[in-house]
This record gives sequence, structure tokens and C-alpha cells, in this order.
Amino acid sequence: MTLLKNTIFGGIGLLGSGGLLWLYAQDRPTFRIKVDMVVLSFTVTDSKGKYINGLKPADFRVTEDGIVQKVNTFGEGSKPPIQVMEDGTTRPFLNAAAPGGTEGGVKSEVRSDSFVGTNVFVLFDTSNYMYRGFVYASDAIADFVRGLDRNDSVAVYTFSRNLSRAAPLTHERGEAIFGLRKAVAGDDAALYNGLLLTLRDAAKVPGRKVIIVFSNGPDNASMVAPDDVRAVAEDEGIPIYVISTNEVNKDPMSSAVFKRISTRTGGKSYFAKTWQKQVEAFESIREDLGNSYTITYYPQPNPNEGFRKINVEIVTDVGKKYRVRARPGYRPRGGF
Amino acid sequence: MTILVRSLVFAFAASLAATAQDLSIRAWQMESKGDASGAREFLERSTQGGGLDALVAYAQFLDRHHDPGARPAYERVLRTAQGAQRMQPARRLVELDLLAGDRDAAQRHLEQYTSAGGRDFSLPPLLPASAEKKTTISIPGPLHSFARMAALAPDLAAEDLLPALARNVVTNGYQAASGNEALEQTEYLKLVVRYLSQARELEKLAGADQVLKIESCDSAQTGELLRVLGYRMRGGCGSEVVLETVNGTRAFLTIDSGFPLAELEQSLRTNRPFNYDFKPTQVPVLYTADYWLSAKERQGGEFIDTFLGDPSLCRLYLAMAKLDPAAADELRKNTTLQRIRAYAHVLDFYGGMFQIRNGKAVVPGGARSEKAWSDLVGVAPDKPAAFFERLVAKDDGWMASYFDALSRISFNPANGPVQNYLTEPERMKRFYAAIRGKVTSPGPARPVFRSNTDMLLLTTRLRLDPDGRPHIPGNLEVWRTLFIEHPPGAGKYDAKLSKAAPAWKDPDDVLEALFGLCRKSVENEPLKIFMALSDMDRRRRTPLEAKTVDRLSRHFRAFGAQYPILAEAPELSDATVIQFLDVAEAINQIRDIGVRADAAGSMQALVGLWQIFYRQGSIAPADADHTLSTLLSPFAKLKNERDIFESGREGVKTLLAATKSPAGASPQDRMIDLLAGTSESDNSDAHTQLVEDMIRIFESQRLISLATIFELVDHLESIAKGEKANMALVNRMASRISEIQLPRTALSTVERNTLSFGYWSEKHIEAQRKLNLRALIDRAATDPKKLDDVRALMGPFLRDTLVGLNYVHYAPPGAQVLYTNPLFVRSHDFIGLQGSLQTWRPTEVLGTGWPTSAGGKLVGSLASLPYALAEAEQNFLIPSREQALIWGDLVPQLILSATVPRWWDVTPGQLHWVGLHMIYGEALLAESALNADRRQAALEVLSRYAMPARVEKIRELLEQGRVQGALENVMPSELFAIARDLLSDRNSADTPVAAEIHREAAEAPQHLNYQTISHFFGTPKPTLANSYSPELLNLRTFPTLMGYSSRILAESWESNLLYYGALADQLYLSPAQLNVLVPEWTRSTVERIFATHLEDWPALLRSLRLVGDDAREKAHRQATAAGAGL
Repeated sequence: MTLLKNTIFGGIGLLGSGGLLWLYAQDRPTFRIKVDMVVLSFTVTDSKGKYINGLKPADFRVTEDGIVQKVNTFGEGSKPPIQVMEDGTTRPFLNAAAPGGTEGGVKSEVRSDSFVGTNVFVLFDTSNYMYRGFVYASDAIADFVRGLDRNDSVAVYTFSRNLSRAAPLTHERGEAIFGLRKAVAGDDAALYNGLLLTLRDAAKVPGRKVIIVFSNGPDNASMVAPDDVRAVAEDEGIPIYVISTNEVNKDPMSSAVFKRISTRTGGKSYFAKTWQKQVEAFESIREDLGNSYTITYYPQPNPNEGFRKINVEIVTDVGKKYRVRARPGYRPRGGF
Repeated sequence: MTILVRSLVFAFAASLAATAQDLSIRAWQMESKGDASGAREFLERSTQGGGLDALVAYAQFLDRHHDPGARPAYERVLRTAQGAQRMQPARRLVELDLLAGDRDAAQRHLEQYTSAGGRDFSLPPLLPASAEKKTTISIPGPLHSFARMAALAPDLAAEDLLPALARNVVTNGYQAASGNEALEQTEYLKLVVRYLSQARELEKLAGADQVLKIESCDSAQTGELLRVLGYRMRGGCGSEVVLETVNGTRAFLTIDSGFPLAELEQSLRTNRPFNYDFKPTQVPVLYTADYWLSAKERQGGEFIDTFLGDPSLCRLYLAMAKLDPAAADELRKNTTLQRIRAYAHVLDFYGGMFQIRNGKAVVPGGARSEKAWSDLVGVAPDKPAAFFERLVAKDDGWMASYFDALSRISFNPANGPVQNYLTEPERMKRFYAAIRGKVTSPGPARPVFRSNTDMLLLTTRLRLDPDGRPHIPGNLEVWRTLFIEHPPGAGKYDAKLSKAAPAWKDPDDVLEALFGLCRKSVENEPLKIFMALSDMDRRRRTPLEAKTVDRLSRHFRAFGAQYPILAEAPELSDATVIQFLDVAEAINQIRDIGVRADAAGSMQALVGLWQIFYRQGSIAPADADHTLSTLLSPFAKLKNERDIFESGREGVKTLLAATKSPAGASPQDRMIDLLAGTSESDNSDAHTQLVEDMIRIFESQRLISLATIFELVDHLESIAKGEKANMALVNRMASRISEIQLPRTALSTVERNTLSFGYWSEKHIEAQRKLNLRALIDRAATDPKKLDDVRALMGPFLRDTLVGLNYVHYAPPGAQVLYTNPLFVRSHDFIGLQGSLQTWRPTEVLGTGWPTSAGGKLVGSLASLPYALAEAEQNFLIPSREQALIWGDLVPQLILSATVPRWWDVTPGQLHWVGLHMIYGEALLAESALNADRRQAALEVLSRYAMPARVEKIRELLEQGRVQGALENVMPSELFAIARDLLSDRNSADTPVAAEIHREAAEAPQHLNYQTISHFFGTPKPTLANSYSPELLNLRTFPTLMGYSSRILAESWESNLLYYGALADQLYLSPAQLNVLVPEWTRSTVERIFATHLEDWPALLRSLRLVGDDAREKAHRQATAAGAGL
């Protein structure tokens, strides 16, 4: 059994789970180093909410629980990322293989083009609750897909009681729209189950990714709670944008959850009952994606295996007036 | 003559085999040790010399493994063999050709077989398939669109389309209109009707060519097509054009019916022609369309419109489609549509077993009971049409339901000749009178599901004792007392029965009462007690004593959900059974609810672990009783958390000792090893993976290992003796506790109080979270009393760990809830809603959907944990095709059939034996197409397990030589049963495969027998058999039933594990790999089910076969890549 357990633990150790490491430590002192890379996307706006572009890596200071982090790569919008060297200089991030996440215990390489563009997962509510607005929502999503930056990839998932992968992640807009237009309407709504499964898929994809939920809110079939799902999104570093087709006051509980999920993961929520507002919401998300910064880093040694608070500061004087919107933190990945 | 030829053929085969025997035996020796691929390689090498013996041995080996190389190998044998030696390979080739659907090859090989001397086979002429003979009706537009709108599986056989549509219309198409008794269309049916209207408009646009054509973006047809579809163009023609909704209703139909809108848009953007085939769909209709329509309707609209608009017509159509064709024909010819339509609901539910043979209605009980049926129905069975018509018309369906229940009884050696007993004329009349009562309305066919569930369960599961009398648990006195006194709080079951009970003198008196209660619409508690206690006795060497039965029956309401646990181990003594009840009652008496929940949780978790270890053979049957009794003892006198902790710890020690755990083994490691399924050391990849998965889940739940808890508690004792506190250990524990969070609810306290439940489970979690271990130990210093208090605080943690180990064992494939909600185990609510007393009730999933709770949780006892976990997980499965699948109660049962059994103790020989039975079953079907005697024998056996209409369909296909089609209609469990029964009936060894089955069984009789196979490849049946112990019951697949939906149907589905077992044998996999592969295959099977309705088990069969095809293809790819063949 000892040999067996060492083998198992060795395998799991690669996944870099703090929680798992703790287990091993319960019965025998085994220490391993985590190699999980943190991907952090954020936007910078001025006091009027206008996006600020053109900032450089040296303009930022990133801390985790107050520990300053060494930025590995830096990217803006859909431009190719740059590598940040030890001395603070930068160079194009080309064919540089870096240790990345693991899949099934096998270490994967992060390709240089992984951070060019965004992997956008659209999660479309096709439950009975969306019956009336189903076709209009479908049009709005199709418009959004068409308008994505050419470097972005997009997947269209739908959910009612179950998730359906209508169109897997693709660069081809046509494929995504074909999938979208094949969606079937009806059945119960398990929004948070669907969101969790979408997060699990998104987490397997290297690079920057976001999830856009298009729903009117009610959920009558999920087994998981919204905040358990939010915690997974935080830990995986995947911003969640929510477009609710309900009015904010109509379902205050769902609205509050939508706001909290999006804010805590670095996304935004929109309450857009009309088709026009939905189009505007999608436009706003597109802008957000196009004007965000993405940095990656390997966390400095930190004994905290629980929630690690992330802080992104702008160190230049002019930047002090700006507002940075990023996810507040994460828990080291569980490896599942 | 046939027998002579068969003997001759086999004599030749035997002569070949005699010289090939050495090779085969050597190969078998390798195979039985688990080296099937080595055996294959050995035999393949042996063929290089081209000797006939080696070729035969190799071909037979491939054949036994269902290897696609078998046909070419037999061809090679055929080319090499001379004279009569050619008979056996030619014969087998004919069978394999037919199974592969290769009729030409079959004809060619049949000629070779005949020329070699074979006389017993002839290939019947190919007639048009029955569907092609039937008249058809037209539905506008393509089938896939209509199927999407009408929620029909697109891969339904053509002749099954209208029955499936009829069922959907009956069950989902109409609802009571508000304010009057009329029916109005549901939204489902309104959409189907609207779709048909849109499809007709499109048909017009499609014109004579029946193709929707758009030449270019700016052509005249574009606007008209878009108008019908409910869309318009935004932007001018060219790359900027976008289709957007202009008419929501039409656009919805366009999208929902799967119209290729994206392709149309793409054509407009690129200015390329768009062509879409829009031919109407031709669907076979039973008899003729005119038969179903009145004269007025025939002149009115189209058939499909009338059909959708008339639910009673749909019900009749559905009923007639399910009938044995001969019975349906007889009814059709001898009665009018209008007359029988009034009883369509009865015919639909209870007509499936109607059969006519030799001009007479087949009645349960046969010739002996014909007169009784004639008396009951009022028409003699020799006038079949009138007999059946009167039967369905009688008593609003009660008599038909009785007829159906008695007809469905299959002979089961374990139960005895139950059908014979119940159809003894006087007895049959007596029980019928009890069922019928005085007021017959509402009948059992009125609700959406059949409401005679209890009758069906009683007749299916009743058992006769060796003296030929019904088995009555305990004795008659127990049942008399039960009906006279009734358990406290139960109220009177039935005033008349209570009055009659003192005079009961015979088991039939009890049965009569149970039959009488079957018609009650309220819960039939006595029947449930009867079934549960019968099942407890079923496998016991000595039945439970009367006083034990009396106690169990009185406490059924409170503790009945626990009885399946006690039923699983027939070695349990009466004393231990009583002890279990005593302990449960003692726990119920604990006044502090938190302490009570911890006591119940700890005790149930330990009993759950005992159950698992017993089931897996880690606890020897001889030790089962003593172990459980020892486990329970300390729980009888609990007072506080300290006692709970000590009892829990003692329980762990007892389990470790009973499983012969090595001294000094880590309790945590050992428990995980045992739960993974082996008591012996196992370093296989499969075992490693299972252990790894369990550890991950355990960690996700932030549970504390048994080793850490026990170490800390031992350390507290050392501190009391003056030893210095080991702060590293304390900190480790404290750190883990700090990871426990409150449930992530977004609700305020007021909202939570209003909406949610689980007060006690939240309190349990909060108490753990607030525990400041370091401070408590600091404060306690070396004070033994205070340290003892700290020790008591470990009780709730130990409870969670023990409960968690149960969860870990039964974790369903994917286990999304367990990985995502770190408080899922801790929030198990052993108390439940206030006043509901759920501590000993079945495990339930509550709180799904937000914002009613902070995530779903499990409530009640741990008794049905495997089912509840599977139920919680089912909606995380991702269907491979469109949504709207039939999950309900079917999927959890399929999942638990993959999570409860383990296959560590299965031998390669057993796996192979299952595979051989499947091959033999297929061969029998192939022979049935070629030989009328063989066909009759096979169909007679099949009729024990399949409904008459399906048997007739298979007969028709076999008579046309359509073996592949016939095989598609036979479930794997039926195929296994056909092989088993024919092998047993004849005790024959008439083919090499049959001979091999007998040879292997004779070589290892302890391993290769049907009881062992039933245990390893059967499924748990908590509802049907009151036990999670896997077994094969070989019942006809049940219909959906009131109170159970499709749960009993799912439990009667026994094909998956037999199919997977045979598949593993074909792919040369080791039995241990099944422990990993079966959950994966099951998940994949469920994700591919695309069913039309709750009874659509053929969809499950299709899905199962797809998974098998995939596994074979994957194995073939891997083997090809590795340079080997498969």
C-alpha cells in the first residue's frame, strides 16, 4: 500500500493541489512544489469608466496576500503577449514553452499563441423560462459571435436540465452559429449545473477565457449552489459575464447572485430585457475583452493554501486615479 | 434427420477438435490466467504452418471472442478442409454471415455446407420488410424536423413512429381545460400543430420538385421563404447580410424544428444557391389509414391532423400497436373501432399479454383455468375476440389488470410454480373477488400510470415454500395480529379485513387480504411489509422467527427503509436483527437533536461500511452476524458526544478486525483499500485509479482522516498523563478545521428561514467551524476532565469521516457535486424537516434549484445512499445529442448498477463464460432463421422473457432470414437467458461453443454456474427485491407503474452488465478493468440515450450497442497502432 500510495500521490502532486498536498501531509510528510500558472485578466478605467489602454508591465504591481509577484507574460486586448524578463525588459513571447496546467497528470505546454485572443464560452439558457425570448436571444448571440475579434475562439453551449455542447470551441464563426441555430428549447433550468460544467471545460483550455451566461435567471434544477460555482470560477481565473433578460428588480435574489458572481470573478452583469439592451450588453462585453490586460505569473512561495487575495496596483502617479477591475483572489487549484 | 445431421456435423467438428485439442487446451490455460491476448498470439503463430488443426483452433478462438477475424479464419479452414470436414466451418460461416447481415455470403456458404453433406439448414426467401408492406400516411416536411417538434427519437424504426407519437399525444398532448371537463391542447401539441402548418407553407414553396430552392440572395423566392420562416435580412445582399427575427412565433418553429437557418444565411452571404430537400415523410400506418378514420374524417383533412386532434384515437392506436398481431387482427375483424375505442385505455395498459393460439385466447393457468376465465369474463376463451373485448370492458379494467398480472408471471425456480398456484380456478376467482370489491370505479387504467403496481409486485415476487404453499413470513398469527391491531399511528388498513382477520386459518387468507388492498389508491403498507419480509427470508437458510417478524412488521413504518440492509446478509441471526431495531429506537430516544443526528449518522455509516465489506467479501459470511452485533452494541447506550466518538472508534476497530486487517495498518489507508474493493493487496492500474479517485473525493470534502482523528485523541490522553502537547499535530487538525466554511448561501437569515431547510446540518457545520482546538487544548492544560471534553468534540468529525467514506464508495461517475460542494457530506441531514422524522427513512435529494437552498443535499438515513447520489448526479451528464432526454428514475438505477457491484473477484473464466453464452445465443438466433425446429425452440424460450408482440416481430424477421434485425430486438439479458435455458433444457453440447460452455463449467463448477454469474453480472434491485445485493431476476421488462414511474422498469433491465461483460471478453480485458470501465461505459451509455418516452428501453439498447461499437473501434485502433490485430 505504501508504494501504491506514493505513486498515486506523485500523480496527484503534479496537479498542484494545496488541499491534496495537505492530505498527504496528514499521514506522511511529503512536500511538493506547485507549478500552477495564474492567468489574471483585468481592465483599467478612468473615473468616467473609460478604458485606459497602452499601459506597460512596469506600470503594474501584482501582489498575492501582499507578496509581490513576478509577472511572466503581459498582454493587452487581442495583441500578442510579451514576455517580461527578470530585469523588467520585455520581448515577444514566441515559441516559449512554459510549464502549464496539467491534464490527466500529463504536463501540457503553453503555446505562445495561447494568449492571443480570448476563448469565449457562451452559455445560452434554452429552458422553459426563456421560451418567449428564445429566438431573439439567439439572434443577439449570433450577432455577438460575428462581432468577436478574429483572434478569439468561441464555443456555444446551451443548457436546460442538462448541458449541451452545441458548438465546441472554434475559430470558425460559422460553426458556432450553426451550433447555436440547432439549439432545442424547453425543459427545466439547471443554470448553475450548466455553468459549472462549462467552467470545467473552459478550465482545460490554455490561455485567457471568459464565460458569458445568457439567461433570465430562475433555476429549478441545479444541485450546486451559485457560490460554489463562483468559487470554482475564481480559482480557475475565469471571468463570468451575465446577461439577464430579466429586470433587475423582478427577481432580486437572482440579480444579486448574478452581480456577485460576475464581480467576484472579474466579469460584469447586465440586466437587459429588451433585444436592444441585449445587443448593447454584448457590445459592452466585446469592448471589455478588447480593452483588458492579461498577465500570467507563477505564484511566489506562499504558505496560504486557502483563499489568496490578489491585488493589482498601478504604480505610476497618473495611474493612481484609475480603477482596476480584477478578480479578488483564488484558492490554489484542486486538480479535478 | 435434423438430429442426425447435427450429430454428424458435431462428430466431424469433434474429430477436428480432437487433434486441435492440445492447442486449444494450451490456449485456454493461458486465457484462464488472464492472458487472452497471449493465447490469441499463440494460436495465430500456430497457424503459420497451415495445418488444419491449428486453423480450426484459431478460428474457434476468434469466434469465441466475437472477433471480426473469425469469418476470414473460418474461410481459411474451409479452403483447407476436405470432404465432410468442410461441414462445420461452412455451417458456422452461414451463421456468422447472417449475423453480419451478409446474405450473399450466407447463400454461398450454405451451398458449400450442403455440398459437404449438411441437410438441416435452408435460407428462407427474403420478403419485403413488414414496414414496406404497410400503407403509409404523409407528414409534411422532413422526418427529423417533425421528430424534433414531436419529441420523437429520430432513429426510431419507421413502424414505431406513429405509436410513439400516439403515446406522446396521450401523455403530453392534452390537459383539462380550466372551468370545464373538456380537454385542451398543451403547449407541446400546439407547437406540433403550428409546425405542421408552417411545413405545409414550405411544401408549397418547394413546389413539384419538393426542394426549397433559392438561386441567389436577391431572387424573388428569398423574401417569401424568409417570411414563412419568420426572418428578414438585415443589411444588403453580400457578406454583411444577417438574418434576424421578424415574427417570433414562426422563427421559434424554424429554430426548434432544426431548419438549416445558418446554412441559408451562409448561402445568402456568399450569394450561392440554397437547396433544401423538403419531401414529405411517409410513415407506415397500422392496417390502413381509413381503418382509423370515420367517413367524415376521411373526407376532411389529412390523417395526421385527425390523429393529433383525437387523444382517444391515439390511445387506441397505441394499444393496438402493442398487441400481439394475431390478437389485434382478431379484434379488428370481429369488433368495431367505436366499440373498442371506449376501452382503449384498458387495452393500452393490459392488452400486451393477449395472445391467440390454435384459435383460442391464451389464458393464465392454461386449460385447467379456461373454465374459470370463462365464468369470470362471461365469454369462453375459444371465442378469442369476444373474450378479449369483454375482458377489457369488464369492471373498468380490474379484471384485465388481474389477467395481465397473472400472465406476466414467469417461472422462476426460486419462487416455485406461482402462476400455477394462483390460477387454481377457485383460488383465482376468490382473489379476483377481493381485487374487484364492490365499487369498481376508478379503474386501474384511468391514471397516467398503471395503478395496479402492488398487484404486479405481489404476483411477480410471491414465493412458494417447498410444501407448495405461499411463503408467509413469520406465521399466520403475525399477520392476523397486524391486521387486527395495526402498528401504532398506522390507522386501520381496512375495517372489513380487520374484522375478518381473527378467522384467518390459511395462507390464502393473507393473500386474499393483500390482493384486496392492491386496489387501494393510498399506500399499501401491509403489502410493502409482506414483500420486505419475504425478501428478508428469501435467501435465509432458516426463516426469521415469528416474534422477529412481528417486531419488524410493527416497526416497518419507522425503520422499513433499513430492512434491505438486513436482507443483504442472510446469515444475520434473529437476535442481531432485533438488536438493530433496539439500537435504532434507543437513538430515537436521545433528546438532544444534535447528539441524535451524530449518533444516527455514525451508527448508519458504520453499518453502511459493514454492508459494503460484506457484499464485497471482505467480511466473511460466517463473521457477518458477530461483526454487526459488535458494531451495534455500544450504540445502544449512548448519552453524549463522547460516547458517540468511542462507539465510532470501536466500530472502526471492529470492522478492521473483521476484514483481517494487518496489525498497525493505517485505518484510513485500509478503509480506502477495502472500499475500493479488495481486501488483498492489489497494485493493478484499475485498483490504483479507484483508490486515487476516492482520495480525491475525500479531500474535496475536506474530511479529516481516521488516522489523524485517532492520533489526536490518543495524544490528548498522553497530555493528560503529563506529556507535552504536540502542536504540529494539533495545528494540522486545526488547519483542516479552518477550511470548513459555512454553506455558501446567498440568503439572509430571514430568507433562509423562509426558504431553506437543514437547520440541524448547518448547526453541525457551524459548531465544527467554530471549534478552536488550539485554545481548548491550551486551556485544558493537563486537566483530564477538560481533555476528555475535547475528545468528545471529535465525535461530529468522526461522524463526517465515516459518512464520507460511504459517499466515497458510492460516488457516481463524474461526481461533480462531491467535487464542487465541499460541504456535501457534512450537510447530510439526518433529522430532516421539522416533524418529518427522516432519520431512518430512505435517503432523499432535497433542495435542488436555486434560491430554495444553498445547493442540494441529502436528507434521511444512508439506507439508499447509492440511489440518492446517482440521482443527484444525473443532470450533470451531458447528452451527446439534442436535449430533452428521458432521465427520471431510469438513470439513477443504471448508475447505481455501475457503482454498487465490483468485479475484483471475477475470474477471466467467468468473463469468458458470459461471452460464450452471448455467442451461443446469437448462434441460436442465426440457426433459427435456417431451421424451423430450432426457431420454435428459441422463440418458446424467448417468450418467457419478452412480450408476445415482440416475440412475433422477431419470429417474422427470422422467417425472412433477417437475423441482424431480429438480434436488434433481443436484449442482451434475453440472449443470455435463451442460451442458458436451451443449454439447460437440452443439456446438450450440439455446437463447439455449447461444448465449450459445458467443458469449462465442468472444469470449475464452483466458479462457472448461474448463481455466481447472477451475483457478478446481476444488478441491485432495491425496490423489486428489497436489496442492494446484485442478482439476475430474468423478469419481463416492466412497464412504468404508478408510484414508481420508471424505477421498476429500470430495475428489471438487466442487460448492461452482461453486455459489458461480454464486451470485455471480446476485447481481451481483465475482469479488474471492469471496475474502471463499467462506470465509464455506463456514463457514456446514458449520455447517448435518446428516448421518446419513459418505456422506450429500445433507445437504451441502441445506446448500449453504440458504446460497445465505440469500445471495439477504440480497441482496434489501439491494437493497430501497437502493431497487433484484434
